[in-house]
Amino acid sequence: MTLGYLVRRLLAVILVLFVVTFAVFAITMILPGNAAVMILGEYGTDEAVAALESRLGLNRPWYIQYLDWIGGILQGDLGQSLRLSLPVADVVGDAFWNSASLAVTALVSVTVIAIPLGVLAAIKRGTVADLIIGMFSYIGASMPEFVTATLLLIFLAGPALGLFPAGGFVSLGESVGGFSSHVVLPAATLGLILTAHISRQVRSEMSEVLSSDYIRAARLKGLRERRVIRRHALPNSLAPAVAVISLDIGYLLGGIIVVEEIFAWPGLGRLLIYALENRDLPVIQAITLVLATVYALSNLLSDIVIAILDPRVRYA
Amino acid sequence: MAGANTHGDGVDTPVLEVSGYSLSYATSSGPIHALKNIDLRVAHGQTHGLVGESGSGKSSLAWAILRYLPENAIENDGRLLLSGESLRNRSLSQILEIRGRRISMVFQDPSTSLNPAMRLGEQLSEVLVRHRGLTSQEALEESEAALARTGIAKPRDMLRRYPHEASGGEKQRVVIATAFACNPELIVFDEPTTALDTITAQQILELFNQLQDETSISALYISHDLGLVSRVADVVSVISSGEIVESGTCAEVFQTPRDDYTKALLGAVPNPKHWLGVTEPPPEAPALMTAKGVTVEYGRQSLVGQLLAPKPTHLGAQNVSIEVRKGELVGLVGESGSGKSTMGKVLSGLQDFDGTVRFGDRNFARLSEIDRTYRRAVQIVFQHPDASLNPRQRVQEILSRPLKLYGIVPPEQRAERIANLLEQVRLPREFADRLPHQLSGGEKQRVAIARAFAAEPELVICDEITASLDVSVQASVAELLVSLQRQTGTACLFITHDLNLVRQLAHRICVMQHGRLMDAFHRDDAEKPDRNPYTRALLKAVPPPASQAA
Repeated sequence: MTLGYLVRRLLAVILVLFVVTFAVFAITMILPGNAAVMILGEYGTDEAVAALESRLGLNRPWYIQYLDWIGGILQGDLGQSLRLSLPVADVVGDAFWNSASLAVTALVSVTVIAIPLGVLAAIKRGTVADLIIGMFSYIGASMPEFVTATLLLIFLAGPALGLFPAGGFVSLGESVGGFSSHVVLPAATLGLILTAHISRQVRSEMSEVLSSDYIRAARLKGLRERRVIRRHALPNSLAPAVAVISLDIGYLLGGIIVVEEIFAWPGLGRLLIYALENRDLPVIQAITLVLATVYALSNLLSDIVIAILDPRVRYA
Repeated sequence: MAGANTHGDGVDTPVLEVSGYSLSYATSSGPIHALKNIDLRVAHGQTHGLVGESGSGKSSLAWAILRYLPENAIENDGRLLLSGESLRNRSLSQILEIRGRRISMVFQDPSTSLNPAMRLGEQLSEVLVRHRGLTSQEALEESEAALARTGIAKPRDMLRRYPHEASGGEKQRVVIATAFACNPELIVFDEPTTALDTITAQQILELFNQLQDETSISALYISHDLGLVSRVADVVSVISSGEIVESGTCAEVFQTPRDDYTKALLGAVPNPKHWLGVTEPPPEAPALMTAKGVTVEYGRQSLVGQLLAPKPTHLGAQNVSIEVRKGELVGLVGESGSGKSTMGKVLSGLQDFDGTVRFGDRNFARLSEIDRTYRRAVQIVFQHPDASLNPRQRVQEILSRPLKLYGIVPPEQRAERIANLLEQVRLPREFADRLPHQLSGGEKQRVAIARAFAAEPELVICDEITASLDVSVQASVAELLVSLQRQTGTACLFITHDLNLVRQLAHRICVMQHGRLMDAFHRDDAEKPDRNPYTRALLKAVPPPASQAA
């Protein structure tokens, strides 16, 4: 991989994040009322509001406020939560790690399950195995999370089986076993749609690659099918799948909000809902920024992986 | 090149023997017969040419020999023997031992038959690892030697490259080295030069003859190009609609063809000595279109694009000047990437440019100045009629578009004019109701030509209009164009890579390379010794067909 390619991609990410900070900051400008009004509530007198505004610096021009805010972020200071009386960085930080443990669990298991499923469906194209995988995928992709979650809760957490707790959270630091049993249902809920999506994608890429001239050439060299699939076909069909996985991270960030609420998982999603209900602006801003950063960085990562898989991309 | 070594070491069993072999494909609308009762022998050390047009079944025979048939293939009990042993009724693992080791294959297009995500070295050496049990290190060393034999200057460096880092000719050399790597009994060559540029194709052909002399390999050489086969093969079989219609030594088939189809095929091979074009306009005929210093820059970027991922721009055409006079046919020749199609796009008003285009008494300095009058007067016919005809429109709708747009005839006369246009391009008037997919490739190209002439243009630009057609159809399309020119007096810019063809049609020929105009000359001066070296190289790469030369 060329260094120039990496540097250009990194510059693009920084540009995107800059635009995002601008959009996030604009929320505070567009929403009715400002932080001072929110802190004091609807009964605050005009004088009190004005006094607080000048204390918080809200009466300065918007660009000064923006630069002040950006400066704070760059030093790790995200401000003070308006409702929890804690630094935003601490509140969001804890929630971030909780969410990350759930999202990473979901994503890793999806990748490990979906890619082999897609490859299998493509190789066995037109057979019963392909049909079953296809049906499973369509059902999985067409169910919204709250339906999947409800079904999983009834069957696996219900009184009949009771295999997993219906909700709650144990951190990895406290107990690995506790974390594992709590993470299964939310991760499965998040993973079902993604598994369906990614396995379909891998299947269609793989089918296309398998009908290409170079696969025919490889087979006509007398290579064994195992090598044809693993060495010739797989790398070529994975690059587009990785692009899809990185787009799916966007879905995952949205899905996590619903799933955390259903399973009482104390992550960014629950925190975001709490902050929205209570108009806790600094927290909303921080979470939005974190989600956007995660998304941009995961796209960067996928570009790097694609460049490793497909040598032509490196020079594009 | 005929009869280099018909008998290598006294082996009488042919390397390949096909006898009484038939193949059909089961489809929902009944079986399609691809091969009928084929008899064919490739003797030891011999090159057997198999010539046929698209759909003749020549590729099906290759798949049958390599036992690479789709599931719906139905074979009769004919014989396929490799050095006397049957290739049929073998298990897959037995077939895999034969492929690459005893029979190997060279494919048409090296840019699709090489894996884009693997280094060339691994793709070459893996056959040695598979069939000769070498370690990857030993195999790589041997690959280097194999590649050197194909004339690659720095084989070690080439082995480390990916396919996109090598030229078409270099890639095909890697494919050929791979085919020769295990010293197979038979190599099947499937149109190995069709996807390459003229000069590269010539070099690959020379390489084939050189390797053939060195190794006395037996080869089945499949091609649609008779002229080309006459330069490599000892024995030729002509295949048409799944049947071998004629078979014999090269000299027999090319000089005294017996079958009508072979004769037609030979007659259709372009030959510069056989003039087809219209009478040349007199020297005082006025210039119709003059392009002066036309330059096209591709890949200009937005400001943000330049900031994030600056890429060098690429000159599609550089300071090119071309003139076409009234009633004249000018040939524009070049290889892929030479800028000839870029010029076609500029002159038909599809591509922005710098420089000036003078048409009649008006000047145009950029794309936005090109107006309706110009667009009506200059029409273009594209290479692929499949892509340029709307698949959902019937022929009458396709032809009525220019008639309506430019108000050529009043609405009530449109149907009659469409019928006339169809007759002009020698299609029955009933074709007006057909959809493009109900027409053959040649018929579709005739509709595209009729559409261009419907606007009653003064200049028609033909961009490789015969390149995707079979040889026999090519000739009739070229002839049609000339007869339309004769009837209407329209001038023509004929863009092509086929020098032999253009020398039959064009009064003057312009040669482009890397976006520059290299040479421009009158057809009579084509073989003068003071021609540009590049023109001479191109001419040398396409000698006239063997039958007439002999």
